[in-house]
Amino acid sequence: MGDNHSDSHIGIPGYLFVFGILVVGTIFTYFSSFWDLDSYFAGANTLLALAIASTKTAFVVLYFMHVKWQSNLIWLTVVSSFFWLGIMFAFTMQDYLTRSFIGK
Amino acid sequence: MASHVDNHDHYHPPGLQHQFEDMGQQQESVSIGMWMFLAQEIMFFGGLFLVYLVFRAWYPMAFAAGSNSLDPFWGGLNTLVLIVSSVTMALAVYYAQKSNRMMQVVMIVLTMLFGTVFLGVKAVEYTGKYNKGLVPVAGLNKRTPIGETAVASPPTVLPFEVAVSAAGDDGKPYVNPKGVFQWTDVSLAVKADEKGYLTDSERQAYFTNGEIDPNKFRDKVQAFYWIYFTMTGLHALHMVIGLGLMGWLGVKAWMGTYSAEYFSPVEMSGLYWHFVDIVWIFLFPLLYLLGRHFLAVH
Repeated sequence: MGDNHSDSHIGIPGYLFVFGILVVGTIFTYFSSFWDLDSYFAGANTLLALAIASTKTAFVVLYFMHVKWQSNLIWLTVVSSFFWLGIMFAFTMQDYLTRSFIGK
Repeated sequence: MASHVDNHDHYHPPGLQHQFEDMGQQQESVSIGMWMFLAQEIMFFGGLFLVYLVFRAWYPMAFAAGSNSLDPFWGGLNTLVLIVSSVTMALAVYYAQKSNRMMQVVMIVLTMLFGTVFLGVKAVEYTGKYNKGLVPVAGLNKRTPIGETAVASPPTVLPFEVAVSAAGDDGKPYVNPKGVFQWTDVSLAVKADEKGYLTDSERQAYFTNGEIDPNKFRDKVQAFYWIYFTMTGLHALHMVIGLGLMGWLGVKAWMGTYSAEYFSPVEMSGLYWHFVDIVWIFLFPLLYLLGRHFLAVH
């Protein structure tokens, strides 16, 4: 048994702390959506919203889903699934986002 | 399996299947299997997010207009409800690991309760869309014959928020004899055009002979609503499946199946539940909030 799995990991105070972070993140997402960040550069509002959502996701995956305490094999599975997702997005958008370049 | 005789002399943990050496090996195998399943779920929802990205890159203002007609109060409330249900789910696993049967059952029941609240809020939202003619499928909206008018329910406006005009709220009565998708408000596209925000391809998509064409703009908003209903609908389906899982888990936990030595089903169901929560964490800003900042500017 490589891992000490039956440990309670971060315990109830830890779970409540992560909960607090998630609630603050949600409220911050809501109010930051009213700021006109797109006047700095196009898509800045969406970028901030995605940054907050990714941070919240990291906390859920690491603590609620216990990945922080898992073996390397599970880390590899988790990281590669997001990597495949990145490939799908990158390969598709390199087509769609560059179509308007033709003829210019 | 009936022929399997357990002739080991050593102590045999209650949940250990015969093909595994020990609980550690079993647990890791189960976790990898679940994460493989979640990897394909990530790719499944990822494909939908990709559709969203492509269409939003084509028609950003139509998406902003469609998004502003959603009610972020309900979307935000549901985000909080799901986060609370994720905490109770994590605590259910925690109490299973502590062999606390009673608290385990309590946490599973609470998780189901919050999951049901989420679906209830979703039902309220879908009903509102039905009443306003915002379901993108012809015939699936509220039918109101010519001569009758229906009053659409206004969105919830919090004290610090700006009221948003949505389809049916722009002074025109709701008349929809065939129950088709309705959208008449092109004000956001007009303002964006004045400010020079519209790209060439967007102008092509919305304009006919140099004028904004309400029918063309409506079709692009309809694309947003297709994506909204597909993504939230499939997410809600995952919630329903999760609730079924929790019901089964609750019965098993009540029977005292899970303890510090064997709790994999609780933990794996938890992984699924947290995954569904993560999908909503992205859906909330991408569907409900993407056009809010245009309200502050104009």
